[in-house]
Amino acid sequence: MENTKEKLLNIREAAEILGVSLDTLRRWDKSGKLVAIRKEGGTHRCYREKDLEVFSSDFFNLASEWIQSGAEFPDGFYCPTSSVFNARLTKMEHLLMQKSGFEKLYSLIVLVAGEIGDNSFAHNIGKWPDKPGTFFGYNLDKREIVLADRGLGILETLRQVRPELANHIQAVEVAFTQFISGRAPEKRGNGLKLVREVILSNPIDLFYASGDAEVRMRGPQKTFKVTRGQDIVRGCLAKIEF
Amino acid sequence: MKLQLEKFGKTLISRELGSEAFKAFQPTLRELNPGEELEIDFSGVLTFSPSWADEFLTPLLNQLGDKLILLPSDNLSVGATVKILQEANKQQFRINK
Repeated sequence: MENTKEKLLNIREAAEILGVSLDTLRRWDKSGKLVAIRKEGGTHRCYREKDLEVFSSDFFNLASEWIQSGAEFPDGFYCPTSSVFNARLTKMEHLLMQKSGFEKLYSLIVLVAGEIGDNSFAHNIGKWPDKPGTFFGYNLDKREIVLADRGLGILETLRQVRPELANHIQAVEVAFTQFISGRAPEKRGNGLKLVREVILSNPIDLFYASGDAEVRMRGPQKTFKVTRGQDIVRGCLAKIEF
Repeated sequence: MKLQLEKFGKTLISRELGSEAFKAFQPTLRELNPGEELEIDFSGVLTFSPSWADEFLTPLLNQLGDKLILLPSDNLSVGATVKILQEANKQQFRINK
């Protein structure tokens, strides 16, 4: 009996499952990002369903490549507007509430994801450099959530009110510790402060990057610290694990 | 007067939505008698985010002062958000035990 996960899909079926174009799949095959199988002697590209699942579950990779080089990703993860983001977040909340062990913690996880996602829209409205919206992917079995945007990023946003900020590290530090917002004089700017506090006092881990600044709050001894990363992230990239 | 906050939704996220909720609440707020207390009941609220809360609770606190009362809730996001708002606004909410 054929294992359905081993069944080979043609390129059209694969494109539909992933929510990308045929050209994208051909490009990915060529670049090695998602290599197709060619049946002996054949020229047609085929894909195993299992491989597609593994590919599309690597959110962090998909999101990083999107913000670094504009690489396409399955459109199920794309939220063009805050309404779409809110709806998908509410769905995630519903699923997470039912997960054993998360009957109380879910609200803090949704709060963290909600604040980070809402920031993307609130600070880039009318100012998106190119593609608007966010990447939002989650896997509750793997216990991870990934959010990313190709917006202005924290330094450029906060420089509107703090022109003296010298680099990404300073900007990210201010964003997570001070009550200030890039949308001053509107009195705002408490979201990331609460995210920091919630992460520090709960079994939720956060990786956050903007520009070349990185925040890694991981494990029981975690502290808040901003360090310089190797890559430059255009916009913001976040991974929440729990 | 008691307000069941879940009338505005169970997942209270986004500044935009908080601001909209506050505006929609104005007619009801005008019915409050001078000196009357407004109690906020969090029952049924699943996630309460600081962005939504800052747009709704902060102006209420500025307007009503100690006539605004928050009823107790064991929801973790409600607790965390109320705490950060107090810190940001340098003002305590009246919370009934």
